[in-house]
Amino acid sequence: MTKEDKYNVLIIDDEPPARLIIRDYLKEYPSLEIAGEFSDGFSGLKAIQELKPDLIFLDIQMPKLTGFELLDLLDDPPLIIFSTAFDQFAIKAFEMNAIDYLLKPYSRDRFAKAVEKALNGLGSGNRETKSVKRILDAIDEQPDLLARIAVKIRHKVHVIPVQDIRYIEADGDYVTIHTEKDKFLKEKTMKYFETHLDPARFIRIHRSTIINIDFMDKLEYYDKESYAVLMKDGASLRASTSGYKVLKEALKL
Amino acid sequence: MQHPVFQNTKAIIIYFGIWIILAGIQFIILYFQYHFPIEIAMADSLVFNLLFAVICLPVWFVVRYTTPTSKNRFNVVFNHITSLVLIIVIWFGGGYSILSLMFQDQTVYNDFLSISIPVRLISGLLLYILVGLTFYLLIYNYNLQEKLKMEARLNTLLKETELNMLKSQINPHFLFNSLNSISSLTVSNPEKARDMVIKLSDFLRYSVSSGADSMTPLSIEFENIKRYLEIEKIRFGEKLVYELQVGDNCLDQQIPVMLLQPLYENAVKHGVYESTNQVRIETECRVEPGYTEINIVNDFDPDAIPRIGAGVGLNNISERLRLTYLRNDLLKTWKDGNRFYVRLRIPE
Repeated sequence: MTKEDKYNVLIIDDEPPARLIIRDYLKEYPSLEIAGEFSDGFSGLKAIQELKPDLIFLDIQMPKLTGFELLDLLDDPPLIIFSTAFDQFAIKAFEMNAIDYLLKPYSRDRFAKAVEKALNGLGSGNRETKSVKRILDAIDEQPDLLARIAVKIRHKVHVIPVQDIRYIEADGDYVTIHTEKDKFLKEKTMKYFETHLDPARFIRIHRSTIINIDFMDKLEYYDKESYAVLMKDGASLRASTSGYKVLKEALKL
Repeated sequence: MQHPVFQNTKAIIIYFGIWIILAGIQFIILYFQYHFPIEIAMADSLVFNLLFAVICLPVWFVVRYTTPTSKNRFNVVFNHITSLVLIIVIWFGGGYSILSLMFQDQTVYNDFLSISIPVRLISGLLLYILVGLTFYLLIYNYNLQEKLKMEARLNTLLKETELNMLKSQINPHFLFNSLNSISSLTVSNPEKARDMVIKLSDFLRYSVSSGADSMTPLSIEFENIKRYLEIEKIRFGEKLVYELQVGDNCLDQQIPVMLLQPLYENAVKHGVYESTNQVRIETECRVEPGYTEINIVNDFDPDAIPRIGAGVGLNNISERLRLTYLRNDLLKTWKDGNRFYVRLRIPE
């Protein structure tokens, strides 16, 4: 890293004093230039796409999109320093990785350490997306149920309440989430949705299908090996023998 | 509870010690009053007392397993009479046989043995009653101690629950974010930082010092709400606006302590935390015939998808109201567009 190198920094936090302290601490680092400050997930995401920052200070609990949801939507995430008050996910995730994170309130020294780490990463050009991915993987291990799912279609973000999901189908490395109005592609595994959606409502009826039983209409015999689940919107989905068993249990048949 | 005599060696020593003392008294009477030879006086007192000491040990089980209640009174009396007769027969029969065999040729003593039969039987009865009552007393004491221990345990448990309740009322997110704001203000506005430290301390003190079931006047409760909203206002700036319209006649109304706080926490959580627009929290309090009505209205973003766990705070308030006033129609909430309404009625 040469002295002339300048890096763009974004601060995304919904509390003005929290942004202020980062701004103040950053005064000591002339190579880090604040390209913008944002107070919610949506505007933050838009700014990341437009400004292509090198480093982001990211809060977790924010309106519209949480820091995690935002990070999940980025194809090529820049370096992230989380700054969060208290979050069980974060603590667990960070403990496993020990990458850049700040627990509010934090000292100037602690902040300096995080920034040094970031500067090293930026200087070597080695963006530790791997460790960011590892945080997300660690979060994925949490059996915490989702209330909503954020998806990005081109540059537009949709937040889908889980109760609006009719069914989810595997599609290569992606899954297709079917709702009343639309289909959404999301880069996640079936396993992820199986463990993160309410198991009383969302049943994996097949290796490649999860249905919301609220939108189920009928169950029909298909052939020796399988059954067909007819949805209220007319879709017909195959259920495997084991999937059928789970479904029967859920419906208390 | 195990047999009190066999709990430890000390208990055994005390038990037989008492009987040795009784034997000693008997010895003194026989030796000094009746002028029996020393060996006879000693044998008589030791045989009868130690024999009784051993034979009456099982009385414990009669006492232990027949606790008198209104239903089994007859049963208990019957059991005791049976065991009394048995013990007296074995004790007196045994003692009499041993002593008359030992001192076959002592006619004076043998006469004395025969004459003393009624006295000995009566003393046997009295001893039985004494031993039985002692056992009952020990059981009573033991049960009392157990009860006290249980009560103490229950008390600590209650306190813990209470503490947990209060802990859960102070949202750690709120606490740490507030501390972060203070940390930030020390740079930009130290005066305001000090002000916030004081507000936060007062807020925490109020939360921690009050018991879960105590009552407080509305004036104090609203003071705390104001502190809370002021702290949140420092965190969120212009995004949060609030207005409190509290009639003077409301101020003395008593309400369960910290009842209102979760309502405002809810308003901030679902309004301010989830919205990008300005959120207004309006409160109006007035006295109606028979009750005091508090209306809280806040803006929220109808597009924001609630996190799982929403509504727990409201349920807690309903539950507390139900426990305090034995009514479940005091809290009402509804939505209208982007406004969330809470109506709370406190009976006089």
